[in-house]
Amino acid sequence: MTNRELGWTDMCGAATPPASAPRILLVIPCFNEEASIGNLLNEIAATGCHYHTLVVDDGSSDATSAVASCRSPVARLTQNLGIGGAVQTGIKYAARQDFDFCIQIDGDGQHDPRAIETLLNAHRKDPANITIGSRFIDNAGFCSTRMRRAGIRLIVLALNGLFSGGRITDPTSGMRLLDRSAIAFFAKAYPTDFPEPISLAWAMRAGLTVNEVPVEMRPRESGVSSIDGLKSASYMIRVLGYILLARLVRSP
Amino acid sequence: MTNILPSLETVAAISAFALIYMLVVLRKTLQGKFDLYDFLMLSMVAIIPAGFALFPSLAYFVSHLTGVVFPFVVMFGALFLVVFAFMHKMTARLHKLERQNCALIQEQSLLALELQAKERNQRGR
Repeated sequence: MTNRELGWTDMCGAATPPASAPRILLVIPCFNEEASIGNLLNEIAATGCHYHTLVVDDGSSDATSAVASCRSPVARLTQNLGIGGAVQTGIKYAARQDFDFCIQIDGDGQHDPRAIETLLNAHRKDPANITIGSRFIDNAGFCSTRMRRAGIRLIVLALNGLFSGGRITDPTSGMRLLDRSAIAFFAKAYPTDFPEPISLAWAMRAGLTVNEVPVEMRPRESGVSSIDGLKSASYMIRVLGYILLARLVRSP
Repeated sequence: MTNILPSLETVAAISAFALIYMLVVLRKTLQGKFDLYDFLMLSMVAIIPAGFALFPSLAYFVSHLTGVVFPFVVMFGALFLVVFAFMHKMTARLHKLERQNCALIQEQSLLALELQAKERNQRGR
């Protein structure tokens, strides 16, 4: 289907979306994000674009579901599955509801919803199965700590060296657009450990293409990252191991 | 090297342990707590030492075949093999259960979502 057929124009601003407009689902995985999820959903509504949203509450113990359900459908996971399980729930929903695109954005307020249009425009100009919002093309905005950036560089070297299908600069970015092929692929299998970089390795191994577009990210509004200090080193070693493993085994 | 045979007390103690242990495992298997594979693998902890104690000539023959001087080293090697085979199967089973558990939780949340949407549609009519 061509971009014109998909009706890219007038996605935003019109009172009702044109009949040929692509159906876009924003998947927002959340874990105890009651402080930031309301603002994020308001920001999405303020873009004036006809996005469908799905908040995936990953077993939160706070009022995340209650806050989010006022403005969006919420898939409540009875147990905490981790970011991989939560994101795959959204992808499975996108596959079943026949969405054209599935865009993942974090519920902690790090991602500016206005950048969604940047991802869609990038896909329109240069269609790829996965389009990542990268912090490291322009190095603008919040770019994580120095130690984590060094780790990310190693992961980038491994991914770009071992797989073809795209040049990646930000494999840990949680802001990414998936087209129908990527949605179908990840609905079947999605990594539970270190899902962002490993999902790229799986996708490129299966022949999906990856593209990147510069976006600015913000520091998280609330909560702390689960990967800090010594955990960063452990994270990096394990991710590199998984990437190597992905290279060695055949596509499922 | 002289073949040292186990004393009567050793044979009696190991046989008693084997018998009691296997009865306990058998009871749990009959109660449905273990399946037949678990029963066989767990029984090896009793069967292998009992075999070495009751048939010392066989134990020396096996150690001679494997090039190991002491039969008890062969016995521990055999026990480790059983333990690792059991762990291998258990790890695979655990990961399968983990995947199934994850899929079930996802499915439950998506079905609840579909149900809510249907109810909203019905109310809207």
